[in-house]
Amino acid sequence: MNYIEFTVFLLPEIVLLVTALAVIGIDCARRGKAATGAGGTLASASLCAAGILVAALIILIMPQEGRIAGGMLVLDPLTRLFKLVLLAMTLVAVLMLMETRPVRHVGENFAVMLFAAIGMMLVVGTEELLVLFIGLELTGISLYVLVGFARSDIRSAEAALKYFLFGSVSAAFLLFGLSLIYGFSGSTELGEIGVAMQAGGMEPLLAVGLVMTLVGFGFKVAAVPFHLWAPDVYQGAPAPAAALVASASKVAGFFILAKVLLLGFAGAEGGAAWGGFQPGWVPLIGVMAALSMVVGNLAALVQNRVRRLLAYSGIGHAGFMLIALMAATPAALASVLFYVVIYGLTTLGAFGVVTVVLRAREGDRLSDFAGMSRQAPLLSFSMLIFFVSLAGLPPLAGFFGKFYLFTSAMGAQAAPGGQPGMLWLVLLALVMSAISLYYYLLVLKQIFFVEAAEGTPVIRASKTGTWTCSILAAATIVLGCYPGILLGPIRLAVGAAF
Amino acid sequence: MITLESFLLVSALLFALGLAAVLTRRNAIMILIGIELMLSAANLNFVAFWRFGANPEALTGVLFVLFSIAVAAAEAAVGLALIIMIYRHYRSINPLKFNVLNG
Repeated sequence: MNYIEFTVFLLPEIVLLVTALAVIGIDCARRGKAATGAGGTLASASLCAAGILVAALIILIMPQEGRIAGGMLVLDPLTRLFKLVLLAMTLVAVLMLMETRPVRHVGENFAVMLFAAIGMMLVVGTEELLVLFIGLELTGISLYVLVGFARSDIRSAEAALKYFLFGSVSAAFLLFGLSLIYGFSGSTELGEIGVAMQAGGMEPLLAVGLVMTLVGFGFKVAAVPFHLWAPDVYQGAPAPAAALVASASKVAGFFILAKVLLLGFAGAEGGAAWGGFQPGWVPLIGVMAALSMVVGNLAALVQNRVRRLLAYSGIGHAGFMLIALMAATPAALASVLFYVVIYGLTTLGAFGVVTVVLRAREGDRLSDFAGMSRQAPLLSFSMLIFFVSLAGLPPLAGFFGKFYLFTSAMGAQAAPGGQPGMLWLVLLALVMSAISLYYYLLVLKQIFFVEAAEGTPVIRASKTGTWTCSILAAATIVLGCYPGILLGPIRLAVGAAF
Repeated sequence: MITLESFLLVSALLFALGLAAVLTRRNAIMILIGIELMLSAANLNFVAFWRFGANPEALTGVLFVLFSIAVAAAEAAVGLALIIMIYRHYRSINPLKFNVLNG
């Protein structure tokens, strides 16, 4: 273990860090001049975009693979792929930030976004509890700041404080749980923890640690009953921050949750079968999945604001993904990771459209979307693609995501020694995704069939906004027609890692 | 000789106290203090498990505590900044009064 190796493994993160500091530096140098103007925004945004692209390039061409310092830093095809996905999502959020109204100290806003990206990349690239905790906290603290960045807006302040309070309580639960797991296994490395759990059996100490860790992760992925922050944060935060919370942070959260469950808690699955209950994490995840699906999708039905609707639908989607995590097979893991990437891309796109509408009409009620198809046809079509994909209709990416998710879950039930009882959860999920179609169509009805009232401002999208949303929509269609181009690499990488 | 069990008992009490403060207090700063208590309880656990663990020469537990103290400080700083920001809007730091956001 030497420092050169460390530097090489962390090179993409270092590039992002240097970029973020440079952006802050430029912002300071311009203060006094028109630091708030459009020029400052453009300069910071292009610098950030350049940094992200360089980091992505380094990940692509870097030959090193392996694990150093006892799994603190891991580089394999899977982590590489997900670091790239996170970078792409951050890039879209940076472009969205360019589209919103300039606030004071815009450079800091871009820089904190990059800090969040660094945190998420650390989380994805580790198999060790200490780095995991630091990465999650770096992500969390950056996101609290991002959510509260519109300082003059009372809603942003309220959302940030609520996010912070829920987030730090869940971080405390997570840390306490991790400490018990460390005490039980004597190690902070996921692989060794897994070995200790297989040998040790379910002790009360371990049971408490397991539950508390799951509380912490349940907050990260916004699963019921730890979801209360999500609607307020999505509604109150500036749209780019909300988009980052909804997409990249969720991808990182599910990735690390899957890794912790499958590697670290490998010996403590337990069973949720009727009459064959065994303590472990599978029954807990099962309860969270069922509650998330029901609460998320039913609450979304009655929402009048599109961002709250997206929040509740996100809770529902988290429930779908938790079902496949219960299956605990490599095939199911691949389908979860595929699904979360698709979900992240489509949600990002939907938030992009919401950003444009917010800027034009100062609100995101359903009626604010009326008549949009006449004024911004390309954006409206993109929104159609995103929502139909989220609802899971073929031939879009969301359909294949759900298809693989549910078939892999059923496959785990059929396998010898697999988890029984998955059938009921999958049936519940099918009913719930049918319900979800209704509220997505409510928004689409406003966009395509309701005329805008007299005097409502016209929605005009800038070139960047239209292009970004169109590219995301095109990606959703292409991934729907050829799911193999993403699923193939994920399956290969999962096969190599597990 | 103080045993591992007594350390765990103290840390569990500390965590419960912190959680009680978080759940019952009507003042954002008191909630923040409760959160700090919960984090300290976890730190106490790490040190105790390290001290009584199989290989105390590995220093993993102490290392974890050092990092988590730094993280907790950063979190408290951001939390206080957010509390000041919200005080400017509401002239209050009672979380029950923050109700602009709703369906």
